[in-house]
Amino acid sequence: MLEMIKELCTLPGISGRECAVREYIIEKIKDYAEYSVDPLGNLLVFKKGRNPAKNKVMLDAHMDEVGLIITAITSEGYLRFAKVGGIDTRVIIGRPVRVGDKSVSGVIGIKPVHLVEKSAEADIPKADDLYIDIGAKNREEAEALVRLGDAAWFAGDFVEFGNGFIKSKALDDRAGCAILIEMIKSELEYDAWFSFSVQEEIGTRGAQTAAFTLAPDYAIVVETTTAADISGVKDEKRVCLCGKGGVVSFMDRSTLYSRELFDKAFEIAEKNGIACQPKTLVSGGNDAGAIHKSRGGVKVLTVSVPCRYLHSPSCVIKYSDVEESLKLIKAMAEELAK
Amino acid sequence: MDNYSEISALLEKLCGAKGVSGAESDAAAVAAQLLGRYMPVSVDALGSVTGTKGEGGVHILLDAHLDQIGLVVTAIDEDGFLKVAKCGGADIRVLAAAEVTVHGRQKLFGVITSTPPHLSTPEDSGKAKGFDDIAVDIGMDKATAEKYVSLGDRITFNGEFLRLAGSRVSSPSIDDRAGVAAILRCLEILGDKELGCRLSVCFSVQEETGGSGAQTAAFAAHADEAIAVDVSFASAPNVSSEKYAALGGGAMIGFAPSLDYEMSRRLKDIADNKNIPNQCEVMGGKTGTNCDEIQVAGEGVKTALISIPLRNMHTAVEVCDLEDIESTARLMAEYITERSGADA
Repeated sequence: MLEMIKELCTLPGISGRECAVREYIIEKIKDYAEYSVDPLGNLLVFKKGRNPAKNKVMLDAHMDEVGLIITAITSEGYLRFAKVGGIDTRVIIGRPVRVGDKSVSGVIGIKPVHLVEKSAEADIPKADDLYIDIGAKNREEAEALVRLGDAAWFAGDFVEFGNGFIKSKALDDRAGCAILIEMIKSELEYDAWFSFSVQEEIGTRGAQTAAFTLAPDYAIVVETTTAADISGVKDEKRVCLCGKGGVVSFMDRSTLYSRELFDKAFEIAEKNGIACQPKTLVSGGNDAGAIHKSRGGVKVLTVSVPCRYLHSPSCVIKYSDVEESLKLIKAMAEELAK
Repeated sequence: MDNYSEISALLEKLCGAKGVSGAESDAAAVAAQLLGRYMPVSVDALGSVTGTKGEGGVHILLDAHLDQIGLVVTAIDEDGFLKVAKCGGADIRVLAAAEVTVHGRQKLFGVITSTPPHLSTPEDSGKAKGFDDIAVDIGMDKATAEKYVSLGDRITFNGEFLRLAGSRVSSPSIDDRAGVAAILRCLEILGDKELGCRLSVCFSVQEETGGSGAQTAAFAAHADEAIAVDVSFASAPNVSSEKYAALGGGAMIGFAPSLDYEMSRRLKDIADNKNIPNQCEVMGGKTGTNCDEIQVAGEGVKTALISIPLRNMHTAVEVCDLEDIESTARLMAEYITERSGADA
């Protein structure tokens, strides 16, 4: 699964441009399940289990990642951009990116600190004032390489480091995609329905239509969530801890989760010796926000892999958390289907 | 292969070697090996790489600094995160979630912590965190971290060497490996011909922390004239093109009270006569480069400055134009050729 996460993370796929990710997943699952692609680009998959499911369980992970979109090219050949998804401006300054179909290299520059007044040394420029420098000398040179509306994504390699950690862009939510692919490739006790959803990062657009189409009784959203278990942050402010297993939410900014499913997750985890932990802060939101309101309502559960520096080019997760999350998700899917 | 593949490969090799101020040995080894093709090389007490060749006539010293900005480990916290301080003028605005290498007992990958949105207030989201509020995450608990990391270990910013459009490239530490590359390229242009002067080279340490390397190397060299090659500001959005150099506009010839006016003028005349792309960089006092130390070394040295235009200085995505390195190299080679046979 580690190799698959690596390959998935390396693919470009900002919201609305998930094509490369979708094609990769189709290659991986086509021999194991039936699939279709809906009008928005969601990849919907049906996997036959040993038994028919009594309840229809939908498993969701989103294919898109946060990134940038090119909005203008200046006369000097710089690219202006808008953020796609929630990105803290601080984590993109001074970073390399790739742009468009030609995967052109560029960098997000900043006025040298030597030229900034002492009192303004910590001031972060507004995102509107930032630009991508691809080395073009003027607009014509830039236009030969880049078109308006092109996607830009974070450059950077996939790194394994420390005690079982990995670093990459797009771990949110390619880690979730890898978990679901792994499930589809394995033998399942009950029939299961999957959605690899588009456009989560700009407001859970894909999951809304996927949930309508699949019309599930229950849904399990497979995600990554902010881990603030870093230097200087204490106790519940840490939200969740890397190395302590999948994170189960009772509430976030878009969903009040089914208490029944929340309790059951911990019960099942304990019974099977699976590591899991509650999310200790009400923050963020994910596809559950769209899915729980689908049709006549759906009971939802979210299981997330704890992720440090979420929505940055340098997301960090602990691989053991992916494995523990897979175990919990598989066990819960079975529990809810029967 | 393109017109720039050789100079690009040279710069990439130099930028790939690491050397934060005071711990330049890796970069020094690469620079020494490259300089050794042209002259006998030695390493001085502080770690600067020096070499000299030729006899008689005027003695010219070429200087570029070897060191790069970085961080230094000051503590390991209870959870294994590394607390750090600047080593050289690191820019705190580019630290959040930056990827780094810790040069401990082995090279360790790390990410600088960044505060997630739920812990940021709207007021501080527009502000960079200071060193008290960040740490380096190496994915280890304290006991493991202590096996690999010692206080004082240096940290470099990761970044790939990127070919951008045309002759432009991006990398960490182009400041001042571009200067080192320009001097090596100058030696290549001069080739084996008899110089009719004495030529010394110093790839000096500790420029970013105050110029100790150049001060001592210049004293030891005891040259008549010195040219330091560093990087300087290129225009970019929010960096005025009226005040700062054009990237790709050629070698920046420094004019300043602390620089030898005759040398500056001679460089400018040579560049103009030989059609070497150039631009003037005029400063009102000292230069903020090794020139400031070289000028007052020993009984004093006539000193000139040539700068290579650079964007995004002191970040992991510094950008320069390889054409400017070539122009700088050609200008120095022409200067040395013209001064050959001149009296000391």
